[in-house]
Amino acid sequence: MKKSRQSLRRQSSTLTLRAWEFTGTALLTLFIWIFLLIFLSPLSYMVVTSLRSSDEFRDRSAPPFPAERLTYDYEGRTYQLYKVPTEDGVIHEWALVKPSRLSSQFIDPAHPEQGLITWNGSWRSLGGVFRFRIYWENYVSIWNAIDYFRLLKNTMIIVVLSEIGILLSSIAVAYGFSRFRIPGGKFLFFLLIATIVIPDSITLVPSFVIFTRILPWNGTYYPLIVPAFFGSAIYIFLLRQNFRSIPRDLDEAAMLDGAGPLRTLISIIIPQAIPAIVTVALLHFFNTWNELRMSSLYLGIRQDLQTIAFSGQASPTTYGFTPEFLQASAVMLIAIPLLILFLSQRFFMQDMVVTGMEK
Amino acid sequence: MLSVKRSLAPRHRLPKPDKHLSLRKYEAKVGLLFLLPWLVGFLLFKAVPILAALGFSFTNFKMIEPEKTRFIGLANYLFFFKDSSAGASLFGSISYFLMSVPLEMVVALFLAAVFTSDRLRGKRLLRTLFFMPSIIPAIAIFIIISGLINPNTGWITRLFHLSQSTPLYTLFPIILSLWTIGPGFLIMLGAMQAVPKELYESARVDGAGPINRFISITIPMCSPAIFFSLVINMISAFGGVALIDRGLSYSQSLSPMESYITYQMFSYMNLGYASALAWVMFIVVMVITVLLFRSARYWVHFPEESSNEEI
Repeated sequence: MKKSRQSLRRQSSTLTLRAWEFTGTALLTLFIWIFLLIFLSPLSYMVVTSLRSSDEFRDRSAPPFPAERLTYDYEGRTYQLYKVPTEDGVIHEWALVKPSRLSSQFIDPAHPEQGLITWNGSWRSLGGVFRFRIYWENYVSIWNAIDYFRLLKNTMIIVVLSEIGILLSSIAVAYGFSRFRIPGGKFLFFLLIATIVIPDSITLVPSFVIFTRILPWNGTYYPLIVPAFFGSAIYIFLLRQNFRSIPRDLDEAAMLDGAGPLRTLISIIIPQAIPAIVTVALLHFFNTWNELRMSSLYLGIRQDLQTIAFSGQASPTTYGFTPEFLQASAVMLIAIPLLILFLSQRFFMQDMVVTGMEK
Repeated sequence: MLSVKRSLAPRHRLPKPDKHLSLRKYEAKVGLLFLLPWLVGFLLFKAVPILAALGFSFTNFKMIEPEKTRFIGLANYLFFFKDSSAGASLFGSISYFLMSVPLEMVVALFLAAVFTSDRLRGKRLLRTLFFMPSIIPAIAIFIIISGLINPNTGWITRLFHLSQSTPLYTLFPIILSLWTIGPGFLIMLGAMQAVPKELYESARVDGAGPINRFISITIPMCSPAIFFSLVINMISAFGGVALIDRGLSYSQSLSPMESYITYQMFSYMNLGYASALAWVMFIVVMVITVLLFRSARYWVHFPEESSNEEI
């Protein structure tokens, strides 16, 4: 008897513990989601606005979601519906036929046979009647105004070629830093870290002189692609940290079997470092997609070689300043990188974690 | 190249006597061969331009009339001290660094700490969602913010009935900083997840509360990651590209000093003065970097570098 009561009490205490844990989980998850909603709220403005027509966008009575104004056809003409309050407290949805300053004439779409209804008051104070509708025409007009495929093609040429260069060189250099005893290697590694920190502007003037005066590369893709083949310090650093975490036993075994260093890199190191390499490839993809420093310096004189980011930067002047157009162009600018981020989230995220642990 | 590789025997085997190069020399040679792309790139795209910029900074080099270039000594640097807009730009760059980096660090650290809790569900999706804004180019963010604060149609101006005169443009750098936390957040989260659970358990047994545990276990254990994110954030605050490119050209850089350098370069074609300004910026950033690395001695607990002799 006593025993069962004790076990009952224990049971009830575990129950309350579980209830506590559940409350904690629910509260924390709720808190993070609310935080996330606030954090990302500007993006919702972008998406919603890009899906609205300009008339509706300027209408202060419009709801916060994409919507269209309801209309009513009466005797061969189209009239807009308004929310009209009457003295009995009912709000009618009537079409405005004859607007006037002090009293206007409406027609009730539900009972058109009643004829025109006169309502006293300023029609300008009335709100319109809206129905949810997505308006795609902003995208259609941008699609027609810019040659999206050409921009995409130009961007992809740079992305693919510089990606090849970055991966080949950064993997090789990271391998050199992680596996070989080199006299002065520590100093070279210090130089590598220093290159990460050096501000870009210091090399701006001489590089510009080199690429435009000494080399005839102004208006070509070369300044954007060729430096990639010499590696990027931050990627080399990330890959080196990752390669160092791979046990040496395997490459020593491979060397005993007679594999040379290049063979060891390809068959031992690279397969184990795939997540890190994918992360670097993705980072470089996002960076090349967004890149404007080199393209605005060296592609400015060639409109036909423009990239997507470059045209996105030019869009405020190209299309005028209508907000819904601009928001649609922003969506078109970021859609593909975001899609790739979500498709690759397993790889990308996983590896940032690993590389973070290293340093 | 192939013959070198084939003859590279495993490290612990004795070198054959007929080889006139020792094994260590082979290893160094092959290693240097792998470093070659970066070494050449470093010379061509970093070392030579930096020294060339130093050379330019002592001349009155102008892009339109390069033949008139003459050595003018320290005149460019002396002019910098009289140029009030250059001083204002430098001040703007430093104050942007001082305002944005602490904000980024605190929010990222807080988020990473929340994400280590076992109570949170759906972590992978949430992580991607919090990281997502960090890859949005700054021009898209600028379009969004200018829409949000549009005096006639913007959501913020409508919601709070604000007038045009309200300095809403300060929102842009704040949101941009908050939307840059992604890489730092993931790096710190990775480090926090790697902290052994037993440490927390024993601290709990000793009666340490959650805040105490965070301050005396999480922060010291994750200090290398915190330091790394700090460096990353510092570089992007000064307009550089570290991990993620925000897609700003030099002239639109968040760092006013960088846009002022571009302005001198393209509006006045004054390459000599632009180079001098770049060197001033370079020295300022380097001083801040050295101070950061010096401070690291006191608060960053680097793990034992046991593998040092291997390299």
